[in-house]
Amino acid sequence: MRRVGRYALLTLMAVIVLFPIYVMVVGAFKPADKLLIDPLLPTNLIFSNFGDAWRFGRLGRALWNSLVVSVLITVAQVVTSVLAAYAFVFLRFPLKSLAFGLFLGTLLVPLEATMTVNRRTMEDLDWINSYKGLTIPFLATAFGIFMIRQVFLQIPKEMREAAQMDGLGHFGFMREVAVPLSRPTIGALALFAFLSSWNQYLWPVLITTDEKYNTVQTGLKALKQGGFSQPNVLIAGTIIIALPIFVVLISFQRQLVRGLTAGAVKG
Amino acid sequence: MHAHRSRLQPHRTRRRIVGVALLALSGTLAAACSGSGGDSLSNAGIDRETTVATQAPVTTTGASTEPGVTTAPGDTGGTDTTLADTTVAPPTTQPALLDSLPKCDVSVLDAETSPVEITFWHGLSNENGDKLDALTDVYNNSQTKVKVNLQFQGGYNETIDKYLQSSQENRPDIVQLPEYMVQQMVDTKSIVPTQACAESADYDMSAFLPEALGAYATQGVQWSMPFNMSVPVLFFLKPDFVEAGLDPEAPPQNFQELLDVSKTIVSTGAATYSLALDSDFDGGGGWYIEQWLSKGGNFYADNENGRAAPATKVLYDEAPGLELMTYLQTMVKEAGAVYVGDNASGQDTLLQLANADAPAAMAVSTSAALGTVLSVLGSGLIPGITGDDVGVGPMPGPDNANGALVGGNSLYIVDKDPAKVAASWDFMAYLESAEFQSEFAAASGYVPVRSDALDLEPIKSVYVNDPRFKVAYDQLLSAADAPTSSGPVIGPLFQVRVVTAAAVADVLTGGDPQSALTNAAQQANDLIANYNLANGG
Repeated sequence: MRRVGRYALLTLMAVIVLFPIYVMVVGAFKPADKLLIDPLLPTNLIFSNFGDAWRFGRLGRALWNSLVVSVLITVAQVVTSVLAAYAFVFLRFPLKSLAFGLFLGTLLVPLEATMTVNRRTMEDLDWINSYKGLTIPFLATAFGIFMIRQVFLQIPKEMREAAQMDGLGHFGFMREVAVPLSRPTIGALALFAFLSSWNQYLWPVLITTDEKYNTVQTGLKALKQGGFSQPNVLIAGTIIIALPIFVVLISFQRQLVRGLTAGAVKG
Repeated sequence: MHAHRSRLQPHRTRRRIVGVALLALSGTLAAACSGSGGDSLSNAGIDRETTVATQAPVTTTGASTEPGVTTAPGDTGGTDTTLADTTVAPPTTQPALLDSLPKCDVSVLDAETSPVEITFWHGLSNENGDKLDALTDVYNNSQTKVKVNLQFQGGYNETIDKYLQSSQENRPDIVQLPEYMVQQMVDTKSIVPTQACAESADYDMSAFLPEALGAYATQGVQWSMPFNMSVPVLFFLKPDFVEAGLDPEAPPQNFQELLDVSKTIVSTGAATYSLALDSDFDGGGGWYIEQWLSKGGNFYADNENGRAAPATKVLYDEAPGLELMTYLQTMVKEAGAVYVGDNASGQDTLLQLANADAPAAMAVSTSAALGTVLSVLGSGLIPGITGDDVGVGPMPGPDNANGALVGGNSLYIVDKDPAKVAASWDFMAYLESAEFQSEFAAASGYVPVRSDALDLEPIKSVYVNDPRFKVAYDQLLSAADAPTSSGPVIGPLFQVRVVTAAAVADVLTGGDPQSALTNAAQQANDLIANYNLANGG
């Protein structure tokens, strides 16, 4: 009986959470004149909204750019964060805690504070309108280092010593022990890095002037400007742009769960 | 809307880089620096969709409310006092200003053996952008001297940000910018005044609307050429007028008529509200205030709206401004006008007309919205109202002088290589031609900048078939021939509009008009003083 009640509650909550997504999906397939008349019923469905969104937002190119940029940033952030965090936890070097404090300090500087000067740097390097400008400033983050460091700290020093006895060097220990144990956190970091670079708007807008380097959010913005007359097209564009996020979320979710259960039972 | 401009001058750049390095070394410095280092870069204006770009940094305190004053990269940082000197110069010396500005020699294009490539930054999206694309292809294919690369910048605000942030070599050759950018563009000292090219080319400007040209001329110099124009007009629902016993073909022309009509509409129950009012900085809170003062024959800022010499203060806290505010308050209190807030969607006043529970019968909105309104109604999106129900009249003002200030965008030529400047002028002459203007106005709903465009198809038929589209054009033409018929040029006009909008919101919700205006004018004057200081005024 209790189980029935729990499922009823969960179903209700699922409906509440999924309802806006349902409205969005239905809206994306409706002609403009039917959108407000019966927004909930999947009738009069058309596919042309997606084509219009694709064309007006120039989403093909934008999706490719965003994918390249997001993947590069994600991979780089994971690599730099793991390496730096490892150094901060397992290596001994002078001024370690001060250095870590300085890294953390950069978290307090908002993007807006450094943007103008960073843009000038991009100009000086001639990285305007390039993948370099879109990715390189984001290849390492203090947030990622902090996150991975916290999970590395939970690995007992004794494990490192034991691994050392077995002849594992730093890279061996990192690859064989530290990283596998931290998989859920690393997965979360990768997910976060991907999402935040996918959703970037201000920086890509500022350092690109050529449409060849448009990212998805810029494309969506272009759709929205004329969107009042065609909310259905805007919704369709939003769905196109959200699809890769869904794919990433679902694939990483499996990774996350596996990571979580891997440590649950001692083998 | 938090939109402040970063104040960054080239000679400070290196110091700033060091500053950021220091920041990385000490988190405690962060808060102090975020205020001066750079707030949100986006200068939201015409469009309302920039909230993504305009989030103020969370840690920003105090200093972020400072007036935003822009000094663009590429400036000479105040060492060039040419413009400052003219602030005291009498009008007779004005030709000297043009002589001191970058030159334009259109004949250098003839000497070029290969096509000159130029870049055009614009903010026109969707259908309007497509039309510009198509018409630019026509130009590129029609001749071999110039090759134009169109670059859509994502919107007007993005164009402004990128232009001001870029160094001169990374700037385009032509740029399309909103009407409130005139003074800032002059102060960047990065442009060739279009007048220089027009004189070099012996260009005939007689067919242009004087109001269109005048909007982009200050101190006797034509800085840019009008491109796409819009003005506020009155939208109203004809069935409501009929139900109230009013003539649907005779919308109110002035404030007194608007008041009378409003009272009739609410007393007969034809609509819940008479007029939808907003406090959008780009609408009822800012732009319309400039319009109404101009319609009453008053200046918005000193030095003839900043056109004889850079403005030093706003004048709207004086008697005409007070009368205007008192009138707007009366409309809400006694004549059934409804305040819809700051028009966050950009269409809230128009949407109030379609409100099923408590509709309004009239709203003021930009003429550029008419095409959208008709296509939305035509598509059946709003049940119960058809396109034919919508009437359009001139924006009512203090008296029957129905002129309007030019809104929209103009085209600037960037001071680069002489061949590129000449090529830019060649393309610009095409964009300004009667043929182009007729095509573009018909496709976009903007007002053509020259009268002979009206003799050409397709705009000719558009205006004959649906006179509602011509209201904006006629309204522009009917402006009084006076210096007050050109709107204010103030460096931080955008920010001034924002503080003015706050005062309008206060008044429309019952605040005291005089204290609201005094307060806003004080803030506006501080903004202007800071801007002038930063720009060597």
